[in-house]
Amino acid sequence: MKKPKIAFFDFACCEGCQLQVANMGEGVLDVLAAFDVVEWREVMSEKWDKKYDVAIIEGSITDNHAVKRIKKIRKKTDILLAYGSCATIGGVNGMKNNFELDDIRKYVYGESYKFFPTEITKAVHQVVKVDYFVNGCPVYIPEFVTVLKAVLQGIPYYVPDYAVCVECKLNENVCMYAKGITCLGPLTRAGCNSWCINNGNICYGCRGMVSNPNEKSAQDILAKYNIPIELIMNKMNMYNKCREIV
Amino acid sequence: MEEYQYVVLKKELFNDFIVRLAGIKKLIAPIAKGYNNFAYEEVRSGEQIALKYIPTILPAKKYFMPRNETLLEFSTGKKSNVEAFIEYESLTLFGLHTCDIAGIQCLNMALSERPKDYNYLARKNFITIIGLECNEYCDEFASCHLVNASFPSGGYDLLFTDAGEYFIVHINTESGEEIVNITEIFNKAESLHLNELTKIRENKRKVFSNEVPIERRHIPELFDRSFRSNVWKEIGERCLSCGNCTNVCPTCYCFDIRDELELDMKHGRRYRVWDSCQLEPFAKVAGGFNFRKERFVRQRHRYYRKFRYPVDKFSRFFCTGCGRCTRTCMANISLKETLNQLVKESEDRVWKRWL
Repeated sequence: MKKPKIAFFDFACCEGCQLQVANMGEGVLDVLAAFDVVEWREVMSEKWDKKYDVAIIEGSITDNHAVKRIKKIRKKTDILLAYGSCATIGGVNGMKNNFELDDIRKYVYGESYKFFPTEITKAVHQVVKVDYFVNGCPVYIPEFVTVLKAVLQGIPYYVPDYAVCVECKLNENVCMYAKGITCLGPLTRAGCNSWCINNGNICYGCRGMVSNPNEKSAQDILAKYNIPIELIMNKMNMYNKCREIV
Repeated sequence: MEEYQYVVLKKELFNDFIVRLAGIKKLIAPIAKGYNNFAYEEVRSGEQIALKYIPTILPAKKYFMPRNETLLEFSTGKKSNVEAFIEYESLTLFGLHTCDIAGIQCLNMALSERPKDYNYLARKNFITIIGLECNEYCDEFASCHLVNASFPSGGYDLLFTDAGEYFIVHINTESGEEIVNITEIFNKAESLHLNELTKIRENKRKVFSNEVPIERRHIPELFDRSFRSNVWKEIGERCLSCGNCTNVCPTCYCFDIRDELELDMKHGRRYRVWDSCQLEPFAKVAGGFNFRKERFVRQRHRYYRKFRYPVDKFSRFFCTGCGRCTRTCMANISLKETLNQLVKESEDRVWKRWL
């Protein structure tokens, strides 16, 4: 079997998810044995102007240049993989959508803001078709490898559609709410093996919400713990603002 | 109660006993995790063990059916090869309450049915169980008496009962006797010890009583009447579908089986992981149809799997009254409260018929 050609691209992001792959250690050798990496700005100088089999997209789509560029990449690739929170759910860049676009441009660019057109932040699938999603900020490498295996086999990968609590409970963490700390685990999609909570942190909701959250009950629970709904919405919107785009 | 079946361990020798026990094989016992949370973990000395504890986050089933278990290893290609696997570890579990022992008894029954779960059955032969009797309720969430799990009824190798200055230990199996012989730390029980045990049990009969106002034998009938009850709808509205209630349940054993290939696409393994009927995708089938789409249907199913279906199949409840599902539920869905509501609703119906 010929090795599939794979290319990494970044849009609006910190490129930290690609760094996760670069930091994989020995595991990266297995990835390189299975794929032929033809373009990856963060770790190599070579470029590739022909077609590729798999395009890995990090970052969200935030202006018209990005729209054109992602559409071009989509045409050149068989498989497109959205990678990291920015690409899969819009991520922290989505916070821009809390403001009027002109206001935010003036704030950043001052008087010459008119020379810098911008658009509301979108996740990649809100612009072009996405075949695989690897959620997380940063991505959870074991899940990324699982997705790569699915790509090689030509089978779909389903992001778990249940709460982080499932994995967190199996890891026998003491519930953050028992410690009096607010955590977004109950509303956030699993798949990260409750990585943050295992290490003493809370869940920030970086993997997006479950598809069918019980919002009414969640509100009742927040009331029980005396947590204002605005606080949770603010926390949720840190990563998930783009979910409002229909 | 025969004297030769009992031995006595002085409290001051407890730590020595645990150290010796840990020398025989890997020893697991409840430890404190803070915030009134406990977990079964490996221990080496008596001080690590929380002798007074409420049921652990996960029950002891995690040692009998690991949450990620390899079943097969295989290779693809022309010379494809498949090798079945049974992963096991030799363990002693110390400090299981009678509710958790009942949980293992339930799993033994369910997984001995044909087709037998050989992985489970093989693994359980390598696990020694030492129980620790509760002389009083762990907390208000327990309902062990209702389901007949508040008093010991087998399922263990040794059972420790706290009698103040010492433990009275019941030897129930040969491997239990072996531990007594190897550790050489127990004294023979005398009639005064057995009298003390009788007294403890008598006292327990005063402390433990049905936590829900219904007789055990009427529970299946209650569930027969309650399938269309509004209680389920109300629970469904509160449920977050986080799956905590089933993951922490000592008798839930549902699992999913998956295949995973290595990146070289030449080798792979088939493994199983715990699954939960409360999760949205659990009953989703090809074509996208979900035959338990609504939360209330999933919650109702859970309760019937504890209190109704196993009664026909195994002549016992698959609830051990440990109270874990209630403690862990963020939405405060309480097992005792649900049963209370069903009882009340059912009584109201009976009255209405008369009026």
